Amino acid sequence: MAFVRRFMPILSRLVQNTSSNQHQKIHRWVAPTLRELNRREDKNGGKIISPRNTYLEWNLEAELFAFGKRLKEDFDAALLFQAFTDRSYVIKEEMKQKEIKFDIKMKDNRELAEDGYKFMDEYIDLYLQAVLPKFPIEGVTGIKNHLLSEKVLANISFHLGTKDIILAAEYPVDNYKLANTFKAIVGALYRSSGEERTAHFVRDFVITQLQGQDVNEFLHIEDPWKLLKELISKAGSNIEPRLIGQAGTNTLLACYRVGIYINKEMLSAGFGETVNIAKEMASREALKKLFGTQENMYPINFRLKGIPKTNPEMRYQIAAS
Amino acid sequence: MSAAKRVQQWATFARTWHIFDCKWQDPYQSANIIKKYLMGLHKPIYHPMNDCGDVVVCINSREIALRGDDWRKRAYFHHTGYPGGASWTLAWELHNKDPTMIIKKAVYRAMKGNLQRRHTMERLFIYPGEEIPEDIKQNVSNQIRQLRLVPQRLDHIPEEEVQQYPKVMEYPPDYVLK
Repeated sequence: MAFVRRFMPILSRLVQNTSSNQHQKIHRWVAPTLRELNRREDKNGGKIISPRNTYLEWNLEAELFAFGKRLKEDFDAALLFQAFTDRSYVIKEEMKQKEIKFDIKMKDNRELAEDGYKFMDEYIDLYLQAVLPKFPIEGVTGIKNHLLSEKVLANISFHLGTKDIILAAEYPVDNYKLANTFKAIVGALYRSSGEERTAHFVRDFVITQLQGQDVNEFLHIEDPWKLLKELISKAGSNIEPRLIGQAGTNTLLACYRVGIYINKEMLSAGFGETVNIAKEMASREALKKLFGTQENMYPINFRLKGIPKTNPEMRYQIAAS
Repeated sequence: MSAAKRVQQWATFARTWHIFDCKWQDPYQSANIIKKYLMGLHKPIYHPMNDCGDVVVCINSREIALRGDDWRKRAYFHHTGYPGGASWTLAWELHNKDPTMIIKKAVYRAMKGNLQRRHTMERLFIYPGEEIPEDIKQNVSNQIRQLRLVPQRLDHIPEEEVQQYPKVMEYPPDYVLK
């Protein structure tokens, strides 16, 4: 102990030295140099992004092959090439060929995209009907429209790594072309590997986008109270709303809680800034319970095999009534 | 944010109004209870940077009970800031001047001294009697349980009931009661 005490000043000095050495020194010339480089870049019209496919060692054939292998799918090489050929690229090539009096026919991906879209449209509809058996058909359509929207498909396509492989007139490609290419890839897969393989591909990449999302947001209900009342009265019961809680009635932060009772048993409860909003939210909660999409529902099953069959008996009808 | 999430947030951060009856309660022990509600310590979402405190309305602050001979011995210190400006006021004197002051100071002292304390105190309403304004009464939706039972005084029990209470013996008619 005495040894430590004697050498304490030296030890502490050592510790101090090491800590001061960790301070990073940035030289005085770094900032002005970077500024100058930036200025020159701006003068030349901003940063130039050169597409990956203009590099010398770019090999489109290898890239296409690797793309299929990454997804563990067997694509027909010609079909996959066609799926990545955008209409704008074909037009550009034709103009070029006209100049040099040369003529090679190129196929663009419009036809494949149409096929892919049609398949996804049907399959997603069936799949959602199977995994959400009580959810109204309007809601299923709403979810499907969301999944097939340009933004979602473009996001999937971008993260599969199509950005650099797409053959298009401009670079970087816009969302429309990304989405279109994805549809075409599905179309190409459908033609080369068949229905089931494609269905599983769509399930794994498109339908899983629903993970962590509230599916009720895709079902628009104008007057939930009226709808709930109709549905319950069809079953031969009556519902009544009751004010079951309130806080700070005379303040700006007033909060009400309304419960919906069916045969003197609580079905659901909802909060709101006013009694009417609370009642509306309570009826929305009740509808969620009826549709099997309440807050604590089981997660959507993303492992259904093959193409599911429809079973329309259990489903609630909104529009028909 | 969807409508369901919005009302969930609204309900989570709703301010509840509590009422607390100070009758025959020790202000220093009650202050620790009131403090919890004022700061929102009773909520699972509590965090020092989270504005989740509730509102507390104290009634009957005139009827508080101090321990031992605190009414005569406890002194409240005040200094005007000028030389010779110090003053010591006894608890009974202060209570006569303002019957809400002792409970207010007790709650103020129970909380940690930081920038938030004065804002939290704004959410404490104290009334000397049982009457509170109607608009405040309508806000109240919860009662905080008192720390101890209010004892019943003999002179508050009706005369008939006292008379009918079973007795061990009667005083002789010529016995002089002090």
